[in-house]
Amino acid sequence: MDDRILPLLIEDEPYYRSAGNEVELFTAAMARALPMMLKGPTGCGKTRFVEHMAWRLKRPLITMACNEDMTASDLLGRWLLDSQGTVWHDGPLTSAVRHGAICYLDEIVEARQDTTVVIHPLTDDRRILHLDKRGEVVRAHPDFRLVVSYNPGYQSAAKDLKPSTAQRFGAIAFDFPPPAIEAEVVTHESGISSDIAERLVAVAAQSRMLRGRGLDEGMSTRMLVHAGALIVEGISPHDACALAMTVPLSDDGDLQAALRGFVEAQFGPWP
Amino acid sequence: MTLQAEALQRPSLTRRLAALRAVDAATHEAIVAALPGLAEHLEHEAGLADMVDLIAQIAAEAPDAARVFAERLHLQPGMAVDTHGVRRWALHGLKRHCNAPGHRIDYFDRANPELFFDRRTRNDTEYLLEQRGTLLHYLAGFGIAHHHIDLHEPRGEGEPSPAPTVDNEVIRLPRRFDGIDPEQRGLLLRAMLAHVAAHLCHSPLARAAGNRRPVLLAMTALIEDARVERLTAQKHPGLHSLWGLFHTANKERSGAELAGLMARLARALHDPTYPDSNPWVGKGRELFEEAAARDLCDISAFDRLARTLSIDIGKMRLSLPRDSHPVPAYRDDNTLLWSRDLALPVDEDAPVDIEVLEAGAQRETPPAQDLLNIDLRPRYLYPEWDHRLETLREDWTTIVEQAPERRGIAEPPRFALHGGAHRQGSARIPDRSIRLMRQSEGDELDLNAAIESVVQQRSGLAPDERIFFHHGRRRRSTAVVVLMDLSTSTDRFSAGSFTKVLDLEKQAAAIVAQTLDADRDRVAVHGFSSNGRHEVRYSRVKDFDEPFGSPQRARLAALTSSLSTRMGAALRHATTLLAAEMTDRKVILFLTDGEPADIDVVEENYLVEDARDAVVRAAAQKVRTYCLTLDRRADRYVRRIFGTRNFLIIERASAFTSNTNKTLIRILAA
Repeated sequence: MDDRILPLLIEDEPYYRSAGNEVELFTAAMARALPMMLKGPTGCGKTRFVEHMAWRLKRPLITMACNEDMTASDLLGRWLLDSQGTVWHDGPLTSAVRHGAICYLDEIVEARQDTTVVIHPLTDDRRILHLDKRGEVVRAHPDFRLVVSYNPGYQSAAKDLKPSTAQRFGAIAFDFPPPAIEAEVVTHESGISSDIAERLVAVAAQSRMLRGRGLDEGMSTRMLVHAGALIVEGISPHDACALAMTVPLSDDGDLQAALRGFVEAQFGPWP
Repeated sequence: MTLQAEALQRPSLTRRLAALRAVDAATHEAIVAALPGLAEHLEHEAGLADMVDLIAQIAAEAPDAARVFAERLHLQPGMAVDTHGVRRWALHGLKRHCNAPGHRIDYFDRANPELFFDRRTRNDTEYLLEQRGTLLHYLAGFGIAHHHIDLHEPRGEGEPSPAPTVDNEVIRLPRRFDGIDPEQRGLLLRAMLAHVAAHLCHSPLARAAGNRRPVLLAMTALIEDARVERLTAQKHPGLHSLWGLFHTANKERSGAELAGLMARLARALHDPTYPDSNPWVGKGRELFEEAAARDLCDISAFDRLARTLSIDIGKMRLSLPRDSHPVPAYRDDNTLLWSRDLALPVDEDAPVDIEVLEAGAQRETPPAQDLLNIDLRPRYLYPEWDHRLETLREDWTTIVEQAPERRGIAEPPRFALHGGAHRQGSARIPDRSIRLMRQSEGDELDLNAAIESVVQQRSGLAPDERIFFHHGRRRRSTAVVVLMDLSTSTDRFSAGSFTKVLDLEKQAAAIVAQTLDADRDRVAVHGFSSNGRHEVRYSRVKDFDEPFGSPQRARLAALTSSLSTRMGAALRHATTLLAAEMTDRKVILFLTDGEPADIDVVEENYLVEDARDAVVRAAAQKVRTYCLTLDRRADRYVRRIFGTRNFLIIERASAFTSNTNKTLIRILAA
């Protein structure tokens, strides 16, 4: 393995609690070098899952968070200057392709569609990458894998994957785990007792019922972990829920009040 | 001449009386007879004028009811002391019995307006209506998404406030919360709804009551309350302490009558730490815990338990009180447990059509009629602003959308365009998705260009200086509703010309529809006229999603003038339609020739104030309104309705179209 990507190997096992057969599915897809797409609401564990799988497969992981300003050069690399003249610098995607790493493009729909087109020749049986600026064609390392993720919930129709891009991927749909498992995750990550974790999960479950009534998404597992951690720090459950869960979620007064009601339904009236 | 007699001669009053006489002469006579008596009870002259206004309003809608009411005022002038309370009472009657004239006359003849004088009731009701949005979200969190929240009928001062009632679609809550600290109202409402949710999730609903006696029904309900609460609290443990706040019964406070004992049992079942010495309560608790330990979902076991306890009540020779207040206060009346026809007397006075109350516009289902004659036009309910009471009258007006007439016009007229100057002044906003590379100045370095430039420099060439990039801008998108006043007055010729007002409006609408950029902007052309509050006709000549093609031009040309101008309702409907649009700016361009008026409104300024309220509420939803009017004397009211800068009074017909164009440019530039 190349020295440059060696530091990107994940040494300690990232905690991931599987709620279905996604680990087997993903392992099989990786064995066949199938590009993968992970869909699911924010904070349900997509990124953690990728880290966990990279650790399992013992491959380095190169993560890119996509945004509107990202250009193809940001992915592929560009000429830079040094004292001698110009030198080529590989972008993160090129590094992964050349040296055999997992390239993870987080929130891929945030990138402009003309940018994401550069991955097309990589994701069919050619497995090549054109660096037109350098006049080079890079053949993908046998260990190279491509994983992308996005959140289909709140994006408008304007931000969507082109069908020609989407059809190159296999996909796994993620959702929040069932209550018992989600409580287990919250307990593990925050160190809170399982009783409190169950109550936090119940608040989140009620908030997720409000999807489409003015809430784009309900409370994520990540929010629950934050709230749990605050409670461990000695903050009262009501305050912790307000700080980490209800207040960030919505600006709408009616929704806020309803969310506070859900906290009350778990922890009793607000002091 | 006494002070009162003097007041009766004031011009403001005579003007109103004249208006009333025009509406209904008999009512006018009755109220003239009542005036001297009223003057003794009302301190200010304004109060008298208010009363006459109110009578006129009732007379415009229901003359016979107004007559009955005026005669009643003559006999008992004292009832008019609180003019606002009487007004609220009268409006409630008009709304509730709008489909039943017989009930309406009864209401104005006998119903007690003092029900609406109570500050506490009004305060609580307002609080409840304010919280309704929150409460509906709260219910949805328990998986109950299809119930609406409504109010019980008002009760008198001495009567206890009713418990919440639940049926298939509606949860009715009391208008007054007796014995509850105002601070605790929010808690009580949530406790009520959580309890209702517990029933809806876990109770068997609408069972046949069979030959169960009232005591047994009450006991079964009490046990069922405790059972569903316990089930729900397993999932939502905080509810236990929320409900616990309202369990206050004990031996000293509640006594040993049946109602007291039942309240104590309810508390004992809720709170395991509550001590109670009564053997019946102790037995109930023991049996319940036993059954609960076995299986909380085994309903028949709990039924048996209730039967045992009710037999004991018989042995103690206790009976149910006639009119009991629910204890604890958050519990509902449990009518949802029993099927209606067997357990309960049918409420004869129940509203004929359940008026669904929900925030925003609500589609009203057309009443079932003769099958061949069903009115299929979509209807929407909107509130109206009562500036006297400073409240919205909920669901007061009905918008009826009509399919525009399609008269066969072979070649729809084309309207001449006056210049396409609209692009000049259009405001632009930054858009990050547009990237302008290789610029000589900009926000950031264009890295590729910069490196090329250095390479050129080092190789001894003249470097390219355009090494920056910045984000582009795009023109703001706009959605415009051209709202045309189609009332009878638009049929006249505009001053000093041979063009009808309506034709001018049509020309202006066509100009707007043709001028705006079809790529980015969205235009709709709508018209309205009104025939009383129950029928505000609204026609969509051209909708947002339609092109301005031949059928739309033909529809526009076929519009005719009729009826009156209820501006507020039309503005509210247009606002609702615009709120669904995704554009950067939303504008209502209002074309009219006169002030708002309608056949069922006699009161001065009422519709003007309502239109003003509609404009303000539109602005709160980021919808701007702009008015073009041909009324030379419009200054008096348009300024009040639309604000100082958002109207244009056009005196000459010839200038109307060109001014429309200018206005459009102004709107786009703003």
